Amino acid sequence: MLKPSLAKNNFREEVMKTMKDLSTSLEGRVSELRELKKEGKKIVGYVPGGFMPEELVWASGAIPVGLNRGGDPSAVLKSAEYLPRFIDTFSRSQIGYWAMGEEPLYQMVDLVVVPCTDRNIGVIADGWEMWTETKVFKFGVPHNNKSDHAFKYYLDGLHLLKEALEKLTGSTITDDKLRKEIDVLNRMRLLLRQISEMRKSERPPISGKDYIKLHHASFRTDRDIMVTSLESMFQELKGNEGRKGPRILLIGSSIAEGDYKVHNILEAIGADVVIEDFSEGMRPYWQEVENNGDLVEALADGYFRKRTPPPAFFRPATEERVAFFLRLAKEFRVDGIIWYSMMYRDSYDIAGIYFRRIAEKEGLPFIKIMSDYDTAETGPLRTRIEALIESL
Amino acid sequence: MLFAGIDIGAATAKVVILRDGKILSYAIIPTGFDVINTANEVTRLALEKVDHSIDELEFVISTGYARSAVPFANKTLTEILCHAKGVHLLLPRARTIIDIGGQDSKVIRVGESGNVINFNMNDKCAAGTGRFFEVMAVVLGLDISEMGPIALKSSNPCQISSTCTVFAETEVVSLRAQGRSREDLISGIHKAAASRVVTMGKTVGYEKEVVLTGGVAKNMGVKKFLEDEIKMETVIPEEPQIMGALGAALFAQAELGKK
Repeated sequence: MLKPSLAKNNFREEVMKTMKDLSTSLEGRVSELRELKKEGKKIVGYVPGGFMPEELVWASGAIPVGLNRGGDPSAVLKSAEYLPRFIDTFSRSQIGYWAMGEEPLYQMVDLVVVPCTDRNIGVIADGWEMWTETKVFKFGVPHNNKSDHAFKYYLDGLHLLKEALEKLTGSTITDDKLRKEIDVLNRMRLLLRQISEMRKSERPPISGKDYIKLHHASFRTDRDIMVTSLESMFQELKGNEGRKGPRILLIGSSIAEGDYKVHNILEAIGADVVIEDFSEGMRPYWQEVENNGDLVEALADGYFRKRTPPPAFFRPATEERVAFFLRLAKEFRVDGIIWYSMMYRDSYDIAGIYFRRIAEKEGLPFIKIMSDYDTAETGPLRTRIEALIESL
Repeated sequence: MLFAGIDIGAATAKVVILRDGKILSYAIIPTGFDVINTANEVTRLALEKVDHSIDELEFVISTGYARSAVPFANKTLTEILCHAKGVHLLLPRARTIIDIGGQDSKVIRVGESGNVINFNMNDKCAAGTGRFFEVMAVVLGLDISEMGPIALKSSNPCQISSTCTVFAETEVVSLRAQGRSREDLISGIHKAAASRVVTMGKTVGYEKEVVLTGGVAKNMGVKKFLEDEIKMETVIPEEPQIMGALGAALFAQAELGKK
């Protein structure tokens, strides 16, 4: 169990301790899950794109785990045996992680839930369906969060998911259970938001990489342990001062667990990410879920209708999205923007071109990077990022 | 006081020795396999020409693809900044730089003081780089230096639709089999590569004066087709290959002012 820190001096070390405690807890998580599985608990894997309310999974008695690995060229290579090449690298590599057999979570899931936000993410579901014995539940995420019809469509998906989870666990998802889980997850979202906002300071108390790792940890760790960790970290970070340097907004399609190359390059030259947004690999934390009325509807409202910021594929929300990022850029006082999207993720590729124009109008230096998780891209990638920082 | 800028590119290593803000000496050699050895060798060559040695260098900045591998460099900088700086010294009216090297191509927009306003560069793909021309020269049985002059002789360049080095090779082989002239083929290759580089740079835009740098700037065929594409004239520095090294040397000299 994570212990809240008492020491008041040397905050940095205390933060590192909580991070360390969290990673120790993560290391033990796989064997913990194995034990729970032996006891009959069901493990539900999902694509962490922010459209799968984990509240439903926890309330069903199953355990949700985000399937969010990425960054490894060998998984991409392995995926070629199952899928064609010209598909988003993150999506394509998911079947690679399963096939390599080295990532335990990918081997122990009883059900994989895929909210299909676009054709690329849909391919993750296809991969699991076609090549594994694991059951798959997929449901569509419409691209218009303004229409009532679209809202009902997404809500319908959640009702079907609820049924599928109840069938999997043999346990009913009651309002009482759901209410409790919404509270816990709201707390987690709020803490992630509060910690994120601490980075508005001139010397952010937490590095960009550590911050994103919190999101990644939250996809695996038990929600109560995660909230306890975040609570103590939030206290420990108060008054802590990190490094002062060029401030970057990192934005794009997926930031997978294990894919920290942009962070590493920035850190090595004294710059850092102070605010980020990704469709996969982050927990949307700017909105909460109302905890009253019809709770499944409340989940659809929080996860879909009020989703902030709207993702790149929410077509009627492009202006809203741009306005949100310009506000973030201002509030977090960013010096430059790095657009980091996966190769062959066309919607983000296009959005990146558009964002570049907007950013330049605002006088914000901008570079767009496409990654194929390939070692050959490292050199040019480093040059681009370093040149951006040098030219600030 | 002597300052050095050393640019270790994918194909060639360049060094510029600077004294009182002026180029005292420079050298260019192939990068080869052993980057550390190359860095020592190219610097020694440039210094020997003017009877100096590495120990006399006050400050050294390395740039280019293997910038981090230069053992005697005091600092590293990316070639993007260095190209802008180097070009600015010789051609202060330059506002756009098209740099085509052995492994990458870049379009850099520069401000009045030689500062980088914006840039774009190719990803890991070799299309539109020196390597592309090298591969094509081998396919056509020519020396790389013969390519440009031949490209200028055609009035009907072949349409090469693919700029992927691998696919373009297949396309060239097939066009050759169809009996198209060597001039038309080579001209088509230059046109395709120029078009690729210009398209990549459109996000940063082209503003006069446009300067060509890098080894490929020595190819007059590339110059012609780039000009056709951007509908502007271009200027080539006397030695376009050393602009990155020159910029690095200028930054090295500026470091002294910081102390």
